[in-house]
Amino acid sequence: MTEIIFALDAEDLLVGTTTFCDYPEAARAKTRVGDFSNPSLERIVALKPTLVIVNPPEQNRTMNELRKLEINLFVSAPSSLDSLYQDIKSLGDIVGKKGEADSLVNYMQTSLVALPGGGRRVYVEISSRPLVTIGKASFLNELLTRAGATNVFADIDDAYPIVNQEAVIKKDPQIIIVLHPGTVADRTGWQHVDAVKNRRLYYDIAPELLLRPGPRLVAGFEKLCRILND
Amino acid sequence: MTKFIILVILLGIAIFISIMIGPARLTPDVFHLRLSRVILGIFAGGILAFCGGVLQGLFGNPLVEPYTMGSASGAALGAAIGILLLGAFKPLFAFGGALAMGMVVFMVARIEGGLLRDRLILAGVILSFLCSSLVMIILIIGRRELYEVLYLLMGYLGVVINSENRAIIAGIIVIAIVITLILYRYHRELDIVSQGTDTATGLGVDTQRLSRIVFVTTSLLIGLTVSVVGAIGFIGLIIPHISRMLFGSRHRNNLPAMFLLGGAFLLLADCLARTLTVYELPVGVVTSILGAPFFIYLYRRKTNV
Repeated sequence: MTEIIFALDAEDLLVGTTTFCDYPEAARAKTRVGDFSNPSLERIVALKPTLVIVNPPEQNRTMNELRKLEINLFVSAPSSLDSLYQDIKSLGDIVGKKGEADSLVNYMQTSLVALPGGGRRVYVEISSRPLVTIGKASFLNELLTRAGATNVFADIDDAYPIVNQEAVIKKDPQIIIVLHPGTVADRTGWQHVDAVKNRRLYYDIAPELLLRPGPRLVAGFEKLCRILND
Repeated sequence: MTKFIILVILLGIAIFISIMIGPARLTPDVFHLRLSRVILGIFAGGILAFCGGVLQGLFGNPLVEPYTMGSASGAALGAAIGILLLGAFKPLFAFGGALAMGMVVFMVARIEGGLLRDRLILAGVILSFLCSSLVMIILIIGRRELYEVLYLLMGYLGVVINSENRAIIAGIIVIAIVITLILYRYHRELDIVSQGTDTATGLGVDTQRLSRIVFVTTSLLIGLTVSVVGAIGFIGLIIPHISRMLFGSRHRNNLPAMFLLGGAFLLLADCLARTLTVYELPVGVVTSILGAPFFIYLYRRKTNV
């Protein structure tokens, strides 16, 4: 959300962020009210904001407390690109940057256009201890689909499910995208997975390009497309 | 002897079930995966049960085990510090944590000329909480995800094994088995000490020295185990009791039986953990659900006597 505010050229209106908001560089200079899922209520109130943008479900607790204090809230929990565009437009209206919001949405819409693809089976690994991947409810699932690929765990409803190594082997992904510092190539039992056999393992996408609903999804999407057409 | 054969058969059945069930069809790759899981399970379950048995013998307290004594959580704390400082799991940090926590608990429980046995548990449980909180803080500051904390504190056999950690884990297992065998050689002393320290001194057993040896070696074993699979609770409590029911109180038979039973038990618990839901639960969830009522039962029985 912080990234969207900056993209809308409305950063002067921004009085506080969380420690999670590390992009662009100028966002780090804003007052920090705590981490993403546990911001300090007192610090938020001390900033006397006229509007607080909250992201459920992680910030549910904060949202409920702020509601009790009758602080103006903008609740954003985009579950799809369309709902993200909607949120950007609403936010643009609120901060008086309607034109910027429209052109940002326009830019994202034209960049994130659905591509035909062979439906290659892709496994995305967010963490290796335990194995965490993306399910149907995640943004990245939609992005993958748009890029013409199939998320092998799209059959799980959650956004970020924990899965079993065997399940991955059974799905036999053709491409593996690793979003943590570990490696996949030499794991016990993984040697005959299609992606491992054919060395289609990708480590070089910054996770925030794919996991954060914001303007940089465009950059993430371009990288995804490049991987898929590799 | 027949009892031992039955135990080995039981372990064999547990291994067979672990190899056969799971979400994927059994291919050579899946077999490798499950086999490494079976090895980890026998290692961790066996060592934790063995340590529980040795500690119970030393302190003459049936409620003592790595988890209730705080050393498992101490090891998790050490491991968390290792993760934060070096970015990877570090067995020596876990050992340090287990040893430090064990020593603190020991000091809290020590009184002039002896030990308050109930205090061991109380101090252990309290310090366990403290360690869990510290693990939480450390990993959050280190910007790790909460599930990582959870799996470290509850235990997890689905460790991804690759060329980075394969040799380390194999090394840890070998070292742990060697230490276990060394500790096993003290089974006679443990028999004597569990009758009471006064008798032991009378019979020429250096209880101070024995305590130190047991303390350091079990801390090392717990540290090694936790650094690989996380802190799995209550195995060290349940298994020694069952083993004593079957094999009596002599450590000579008891300790190997505990190792085999502990391995079989953890394998079966892990089968439940990975098949009950579509998710992979931390195996400690299963052992704790079984272990906590068992602890309460033992505690009530002990205080009634």
